[in-house]
Amino acid sequence: MPVTKVLTQGIGEADLRDMKVYRKRGGYQQLERAFKQMKPADVQSACERSGLRGRGGAGFPTGKKWSFLPPEIRPRYLVCNCDEAEPGTFKDRMLLEETPHLVLEGILLGAYAIESHHAFIYIRGEFKRGYEVFMEALAQARKAGFVGKGLFGTKYDLDVTVHRGAGAYICGEETALLNSLEGKRGEPRLKPPFPAVQGLYSKPTVVNNVETLAYLVPILEHGPQWFASVGTERSKGYKVVSISGHVKNPGNYEVPLGTPMRELLEIAGGLRDGRTLRAIQPGGGSSACIFEEHLDLPYDYESLAKVGSMLGSGAVVVMDDTTDFVRAAFNLVRFFAHESCGQCTPCREGGHWLERVLHRFLENRGLRSDMEMLARVSHEITGINLCPLGDSIEPFLASVLKRFPEQFESRIARETFHAAQRDGH
Amino acid sequence: MIAFDALLKKLKPKCDEIIAQYEQPRSALLPLVHLFQQHEGYASSEAQHAIAEMLALSPAVVESTVSFYTLFYRRPIGKYMLQVCRGLACTLNGAEDIMAYFREQLGIGHLQTTPDGLFSYEEVECLAACDRATCMQVNLNFVYDLTPQMIDDMLAAMRAGKYSVAPLAQTATPPRTWMPVQDGEVARGDKSDGAQDQPAPNNPGGLDRDGVIMLDRIIADEARFKGRTRERLANVEPALADAIEK
Repeated sequence: MPVTKVLTQGIGEADLRDMKVYRKRGGYQQLERAFKQMKPADVQSACERSGLRGRGGAGFPTGKKWSFLPPEIRPRYLVCNCDEAEPGTFKDRMLLEETPHLVLEGILLGAYAIESHHAFIYIRGEFKRGYEVFMEALAQARKAGFVGKGLFGTKYDLDVTVHRGAGAYICGEETALLNSLEGKRGEPRLKPPFPAVQGLYSKPTVVNNVETLAYLVPILEHGPQWFASVGTERSKGYKVVSISGHVKNPGNYEVPLGTPMRELLEIAGGLRDGRTLRAIQPGGGSSACIFEEHLDLPYDYESLAKVGSMLGSGAVVVMDDTTDFVRAAFNLVRFFAHESCGQCTPCREGGHWLERVLHRFLENRGLRSDMEMLARVSHEITGINLCPLGDSIEPFLASVLKRFPEQFESRIARETFHAAQRDGH
Repeated sequence: MIAFDALLKKLKPKCDEIIAQYEQPRSALLPLVHLFQQHEGYASSEAQHAIAEMLALSPAVVESTVSFYTLFYRRPIGKYMLQVCRGLACTLNGAEDIMAYFREQLGIGHLQTTPDGLFSYEEVECLAACDRATCMQVNLNFVYDLTPQMIDDMLAAMRAGKYSVAPLAQTATPPRTWMPVQDGEVARGDKSDGAQDQPAPNNPGGLDRDGVIMLDRIIADEARFKGRTRERLANVEPALADAIEK
């Protein structure tokens, strides 16, 4: 079993919320080493050489993202994205609640690497406990002199501000998050300019996921080669995978990227007794389903992209033969319709139309033409919006429509009635 | 109003502290709304105006922003905000039964508050606790692995004032719902008689009250739908046509 413990080390064994415990296990040593012995460029280079890719969903190489910062413009900001709300994902919440000092150390390292003196963490509004835990950790760290003015005897000032969201999935999109952080409606911005050039307060800004930043700590500890030696050619290192749905032991499991899907299923205890696998959503609500024939696929960015799905945020939702896929499709389409910010017409209108058509199926009132229409409308609203939210509707819906058409067909109703109407009876 | 002035005076130092955390004051908008909502139970109009003044914004800008976020309530809510997860992982594990049980026990639906002002109920999107499905939040505190028995115990404890999570502040009587428009009204198709159901590209007008596709009705019922409005009226409602003529 390839379950590893890097970020998840110590969770469940010790109270890592206590700074003393965290430090006893080596916590904040990498931060101190970075400030005392390394230049920001060294940290940046370590990150780049490790091959670390963004763990929030897009999988963009972190070192490369940092390299887009224009060298001459200051101040720069680092924003840690903890607005975790992708259906099926619950890794960032665990990291925030269970090991807040690791998250903070990652943020501080990231900020130092890009020479930022003010870092932010945007915490999802629903994570009240996570917010309280992190505030306490921040207070402890501030007291110990890890946050504030003149860190570790250097002239480097670094402050961290905690910002609570207020219930909006779209604020996980980086430009929407920045708008929300600026006190505006959480509506995504037109890109370019990308945040690296014009982000928070129109200044160069890097937005990184909680897990991404947390991995900086072990990467510095064990060296970039250690991280790069794990995983596949283009998907390096470890990943915290949130497995849920119809499995015996749902939970967060940290594995090397490239672990076969079949093993992931086994790690989570496998399917419940007497059930058979129908579908797996491998990367959160925005990803297309994969099926039994894909079980030998390695769990990495490229392999999943090759079969038309994606790794996304690492949320694996397992569905067995008791699953009603019309209901599942309705559920996810309703989610995206509900969370659409409303700026772009295709996403705002299309989502609700699809939701209503699927609702019709749920009431056994589907029309013969609806199936083709679901596929067409979801496809047509893809790729023409400011942000990827509208594009997220199609993958799951299209994959289950194609795979389980009988579940939709069985809910087409009153064909004879409609035919009679057309014939004028 | 006197009560609000006292609250504002009390919170002012805290507000200034929050604003000072940011390079630009407007960034403090969300934290300030959180702060006032914590004390008033909802983001009152007075609070929004006070925030607008502190941040040198128009009150309309503040309200527009507040209205964007689902955790900000622009009308009073109950003392216990029950938010049950309707995400995919919870649904796969029986969330619909749990939600039906809540509705039955509370006697209210999605986005509603009980008449006694004790409970507000909302079905929310994925709460990021899929490993412990089905889950919910009570005043933003997680409750996992829900069963009907747990719900019974929870509601009884809340009614008796003995629940482990403290009730929310409540400075005004909550109305039936805190939302201007209910999600359910759209999903149920509570629209005009003409478009009872889903208008769709190949299905103009959707279904009418009798479940007939509007387009089919138009084709089948020529007298009623063909021709100019006045001519149609003359056929169907001669009296009305005459009245318009005059």
